[in-house]
Amino acid sequence: MQAVYDALIVGAGGAGLWAALELAQAGVKTAVITKLYPTRSHTGAAHGGVCAALGNLEEDHWEWHMFDTIKGGDYLVDQDAAEVLAREAIECVIELEHMGLPFNRTPDGKIDQRRFGGHTRNFGEGPVRRSCFAADRTGHMILQTLYQQCLKAGVVFHDEYQVVDLLFEGGDAGEGGRAAGVVAYRIADGEIFPIRSSAVLLATGGFGRMFRITSNAWSLTGDGIALAWRHGVPMQDMEFFQFHPTGIVGIGILLSEAARGEGGYLLNDSGERFMKRYAPTMMELAPRDMVSRAIYLEVRDGRGIGGKDYVHLDVRHLGRKVIEEKLPDITDFARVYQGVEPITEPVPVQPTAHYAMGGIPTDIFTRVTRDEHNTVVPGLYAAGEAACLSVHGANRLGTNSLVDLLVFGRRAGLQMAREVGGVDLPILARNVEEPVRAELRAIRDRPSGESASRLRRELADVMMDQVGVFRDEPTLSMALPKVRELRERYERVSVQDKGRTFNTDLLEARELGYLLDCAETTVAAALARRESRGAHSREDFPERDDVNFLSHTLAYRGAPGRPTLRYKPVTITRFAPKPRTY
Amino acid sequence: MPDATLRVYRGTPGQPAHFQDFQVPVDEGMVVLDALHWIQAHRAPDLAVRWNCKAAKCGSCSTEINGKPALTCKARLSDFAPGETIVVEPMRTFPLIRDLVTDVSWNYEVNRRIQPFTPPADVPQSEWRWQQQDIERVQEFRKCIECFLCQDVCHVLRSHETDNLFIGPRFLVRAAGLEMHPMDTADRLPFLKDEGGTGYCNITKCCTEVCPEHIKITDNAIIPLKERIADRYYDPFRMIWRRLRGTKAPAPAPAATTKA
Ligand SMILES: Cc1cc2nc3c(=O)[nH]c(=O)nc-3n(C[C@H](O)[C@H](O)[C@H](O)COP(=O)(O)OP(=O)(O)OC[C@H]3O[C@@H](n4cnc5c(N)ncnc54)[C@H](O)[C@@H]3O)c2cc1C
Ligand code: SF4
Ligand code: SF4
Ligand code: FES
Repeated sequence: MQAVYDALIVGAGGAGLWAALELAQAGVKTAVITKLYPTRSHTGAAHGGVCAALGNLEEDHWEWHMFDTIKGGDYLVDQDAAEVLAREAIECVIELEHMGLPFNRTPDGKIDQRRFGGHTRNFGEGPVRRSCFAADRTGHMILQTLYQQCLKAGVVFHDEYQVVDLLFEGGDAGEGGRAAGVVAYRIADGEIFPIRSSAVLLATGGFGRMFRITSNAWSLTGDGIALAWRHGVPMQDMEFFQFHPTGIVGIGILLSEAARGEGGYLLNDSGERFMKRYAPTMMELAPRDMVSRAIYLEVRDGRGIGGKDYVHLDVRHLGRKVIEEKLPDITDFARVYQGVEPITEPVPVQPTAHYAMGGIPTDIFTRVTRDEHNTVVPGLYAAGEAACLSVHGANRLGTNSLVDLLVFGRRAGLQMAREVGGVDLPILARNVEEPVRAELRAIRDRPSGESASRLRRELADVMMDQVGVFRDEPTLSMALPKVRELRERYERVSVQDKGRTFNTDLLEARELGYLLDCAETTVAAALARRESRGAHSREDFPERDDVNFLSHTLAYRGAPGRPTLRYKPVTITRFAPKPRTY
Repeated sequence: MPDATLRVYRGTPGQPAHFQDFQVPVDEGMVVLDALHWIQAHRAPDLAVRWNCKAAKCGSCSTEINGKPALTCKARLSDFAPGETIVVEPMRTFPLIRDLVTDVSWNYEVNRRIQPFTPPADVPQSEWRWQQQDIERVQEFRKCIECFLCQDVCHVLRSHETDNLFIGPRFLVRAAGLEMHPMDTADRLPFLKDEGGTGYCNITKCCTEVCPEHIKITDNAIIPLKERIADRYYDPFRMIWRRLRGTKAPAPAPAATTKA
């Protein structure tokens, strides 16, 4: 099989689907390739909501939203991108409603809005109602709505096909080449074949699976980011990874911010609301990075529950009615996965790896860029969690990821539709898929060697314990050789499943390679950034350092385990950096 | 804690299938999916399992556990009696790919046959106004995670004689979400009555029982749709009216839905 499309979208989360929709509506022959059925993408897990300054309940302006995004990101945000995000969020939400998404309503019938951490009125004066939501299923309904619209517009779907390589012509991506398509692997039967296209969007989501405790689904292994990197595109700002404070102990499933929004307490072993020592005014509602750090410090000082590595989320005082009606998912999760009854017992929680601020560098038209001068890789685009515009800077605000998907997914589709017209379809050499076929065959045919699941566990442990919420030079310096060692052992990885049908053993081994790529750049970038900013907390450099580090990290592939780091200035248009206090 | 015994279906189409037993060490809070992962990591790396979120939100991990359609990521080991063997099998209604993985693509084909959301052409492009109570009705249906457990349990689909004559509970839920959307103008009743095969459902409610999202499939989606169809096509006054007007009254379902 060989296929040809004018535009190719890799990934069927919110970002990929909106891009596909715009393209198909513009009459471009478009296909979406996804390793999961589209509506099983991780966007479906987002329950919080999507922010847009509609001002339906109180005064609000997109400029305020822009400011909050920049401050939340600890001034590492590119302000031109934040402006686009905040402005276009408004039209995107209305457009979604017109596609049939059932948003909750105000009493006079408009889209309802609620408060969310870090979103404020008048540049930080107090909380504002900005988050639009559809029950506690906003992401899920976005996904379903866009998927059905894509079908209507005639988008072709290749479900359960995994992209295993990217193709370029006229040189590699890092050398001025242009996108020419992808190599796909059909999961059902192991068939491998190239798909040609002169416009390729990477919308493959994040890589939270690098950590032991994570809210991320199994499929989030940084595929698009790592594949682009192997072809010469840098990874940007990898040292910034958000930990959400309230994950279920041991497994990381997210208990949403709503629990604290409704008035839930965080308690340590002696039953103390310890946040009063860290954020006396905001208490439990301080930003995610701050609360996660506080939990970590309590645990480290022996005040975790029973001396263990977690604290309690206590909602008992809210009463049965509030708990069951306003926090149904949390209640369900605690009951099913912990056997805990939140109405009568406190729920054990610990920080969980949640969101990758870093990823593939792009400009505000979603075109992938490959250096500090924003040189574009022709025909290659990125959007969603896989991309780094950067609109989230050093720390993403709640609900801003969904906004990012909508605004920049849509922009990607529009930009690609504009550009595909003038480009001839690429000509692919015969057997372009051969190198990756050989790589996969090598893993499958190796009679014995390192076990992928074991390497994956070791990687997740080192990232969680040494590159987690807090970092310092000694621990990062231990993590670096460990990741290198894992990479060396990965050269000998083998699998026991030798078949072709639904061979997840093989694909997981392949995905481990992507995670190792992401881990290597994360550690190197974290070691080099000798300051604390947003989600990146260095105990040995506790202050933000705008003189030396108000810049984006670009990590290029170098010798195995030794990426090359370069830096790119942050775009500042309106708001000069200020200390970030809440 | 004592070990759990899992009896897992192994096989590919065309090969004789068998069950394989595994003793799995049990930890607090474990679900069946955790046990399957333990098996993959320690005993049978080639066991094929489909999953993604492990939070009962993506609908990937559907199987039959002790004969009952269920999500492996939501079935707690502690809910089984001590010593009870936990039998895990693929969904029986759909073709097998391998082990616990089935080919559910038929459902996506069915989905394409339902006319999507169709707002009026002359609707204002500004924000719409509608009421919370109308929204909630639609939201219930939109909670569906497409696990297809309801499709799996429905005897009409399970018997396989009616595969393409009945779209199944999942898609009646979807149709209801569209039909009850206050801004939708499409008319799906003729489709639901004929190609959709709504008449095949005899309201056994098995689908509602297995739905992990607790959607009241029969009471809130299927019965109202059946009523709308009955009102339009089988209301005696309307039938007389149509006869007087010379339009031919349709024959009663399900006879009318049986096509060659
Ligand atoms: C539990 C949870 C709750 C959240 N809540 C919120 C919230 O309330 N508000 C908010 O704004 N954000 C929230 N987020 C974050 C947000 O959901 C994600 O950042 C966002 O959905 C990512 O969307 P995406 O389109 O980039 O990719 P995803 O939705 O992750 O989709 C990735 C797609 O890429 C495909 N793919 C990946 N690799 C390959 C490959 N090699 N070949 C083919 N296809 C591939 C997958 O099949 C999938 O279709 C939450 C995240 C989590 C984990
Ligand atoms: S109620 Fe109808 S749709 Fe549901 S299982 Fe029974 S026959 Fe099938
Ligand atoms: S209606 Fe319920 S059982 Fe059926 S597919 Fe949807 S979530 Fe699953
Ligand atoms: S793994 Fe997502 S529903 Fe079970």
